[in-house]
Amino acid sequence: MNSLTHTHKAWLLLGGLLIATLPGWAGDQYQLHLASLIAVYWILIAGLNMVVGFTGQLSIGHVGLLCIGSYAFAVLAGKSGWHPALALVASGVLGGVCGLALGLPSLRLPGFYFAMATMAFALIVNDLVLAQVDLTGGGIGLPGPLFPAPFDSPSGFYYLVSLLALGVTWLSWNLGRHMWGRALISIRDNPVAAQSVGVAVFRAKLTVFVFSGVTAGLAGAVFASLQSYITPDTFVFELSLFFFVCIIIGGRGSIIGPFIGTVVLTALPELVAPLAKLGNFFYGLLLLVVVLVVPEGIGRVFDIIRERLRPRVVHREPISPDLARLDRALKYKP
Amino acid sequence: MTNTAQLQAVSVSRAFGGIKALDDVSLELRPGEVHGLIGPNGSGKTTLLNLLCGFYQPSSGVIHLGEQDLSQASVQMRAVNGIARTFQKPRLMPMLSVLDNCMLGAWIHADAGFMSTALALPHVGAQELDIQARAIELLHGVGLGHVMQRQASLLDHAEQRFLEIARGLAMQPRFMLLDEPAGGLTHQEIDHLADVVRTLRDNGIGVLLVEHHTDFVFRICDRVTTLNTGKMICHGTSEQVRNDPEVIRVYLGA
Repeated sequence: MNSLTHTHKAWLLLGGLLIATLPGWAGDQYQLHLASLIAVYWILIAGLNMVVGFTGQLSIGHVGLLCIGSYAFAVLAGKSGWHPALALVASGVLGGVCGLALGLPSLRLPGFYFAMATMAFALIVNDLVLAQVDLTGGGIGLPGPLFPAPFDSPSGFYYLVSLLALGVTWLSWNLGRHMWGRALISIRDNPVAAQSVGVAVFRAKLTVFVFSGVTAGLAGAVFASLQSYITPDTFVFELSLFFFVCIIIGGRGSIIGPFIGTVVLTALPELVAPLAKLGNFFYGLLLLVVVLVVPEGIGRVFDIIRERLRPRVVHREPISPDLARLDRALKYKP
Repeated sequence: MTNTAQLQAVSVSRAFGGIKALDDVSLELRPGEVHGLIGPNGSGKTTLLNLLCGFYQPSSGVIHLGEQDLSQASVQMRAVNGIARTFQKPRLMPMLSVLDNCMLGAWIHADAGFMSTALALPHVGAQELDIQARAIELLHGVGLGHVMQRQASLLDHAEQRFLEIARGLAMQPRFMLLDEPAGGLTHQEIDHLADVVRTLRDNGIGVLLVEHHTDFVFRICDRVTTLNTGKMICHGTSEQVRNDPEVIRVYLGA
């Protein structure tokens, strides 16, 4: 669907170098923490992007899945003394199972009702966590265990989450550029057409939703470790909207767009640090500007500017079928 | 596999609330034959098409494909069984290229699972290239070779119609149901459409043509069925139907 050109590869190489050397040039520990946070968010958002950006299912409840992953990790690696790597995998699996449990009843609902169901899920999870004092520590919360060496230092942890983020990005890129990508986008843009070519719409939606559950569970596990302490208040509903907005600002059906959205929106409060009180103001302003000026998302800003400066001329040529070629194509049986 | 099975609707009826959109209608679609379906607006043509491809289930009567009873089969299952269709108002993915739109049609032949696609296992890439190669040939075949990389939202109406046909052909269908394919086309484009439909027929595909352009229908159809207010009023060769007094009275006009 989108094969890489040389320019793309050059940009990827540059980006990869920047990410790989970041602990070397980051100004202080806090910036490194921020970079790790971006990677953690992106693990979740990359998966959610397949649901929202590609399949067009408006889930605003992924903070619930993040929360489940976090507590699973804190309980298993902390209280139960599992190896953190094992607990990480278990968090991903649990995220997937909960994604299945949420998706099964809700993915048949049309747009807004599905969004409401996912929101209700997030609220319920938060209340359950608060109520299960024995397991989760209730309002007091739980410590988020560290990963063993070499991932216990800030830079070690940064590399761990970057690697995970890279892995999830690669998976979602593979999905997006093959038949699955087309099928998911057809569900978003025209479910009737999707059905007519044989896409099992509900099943495809459920599959990709479970995938996003797994990535949310994984993100939750490393999120707990990064935060070093989690309480139900860590998982406010606004966080869910934040994930959603990152994708919308980034642009639907793109991977790089939502990634830029995640970086910008996570770093935004820091970029405007002197005006910290206005952090939400800038957040709102950015959202408004994107929705009004570039609804295709910031991932396509350059395309759009290029188009404005040098409009593409669409040449109309009459349709003239090549019947011999059509005949050969129809006779060809693989 | 030689394609000899017929797609049959056997005395099907379909009611919406109290209204009988289709009342005891039978139709058989044979491989390698173009079958026209005509009638005034609201006569049940599109309802019948939707029954054949599974968007509706019949209130009574059955849909057969060969020996197989498809009456309750889902739209997806019918696609798997080789029934493709186009829509009155073309349904495409506007943000994707013409080529991607066409390739979507091959979904049922891409047996790449979710996990193997996510991991980009070698056979996924190989299959992708096969599908792409065939889609390119089909697009050249229907006359869209020059707009292959164009975003579908930039296509004009006729191009969208031909793209829908190409997408349907990417399914390697046994039957192709065309819902008013000539609507909004110029005379020349209709001629091209006729050529394409004949090529499908010559390759053993059974074509159902729901259409208002009666000249076009009588020109290329082997058999024609006429509906009026949900009932079949006439059925036969183009020649027979064109001269049927009842058809002339309710539809063609004197």
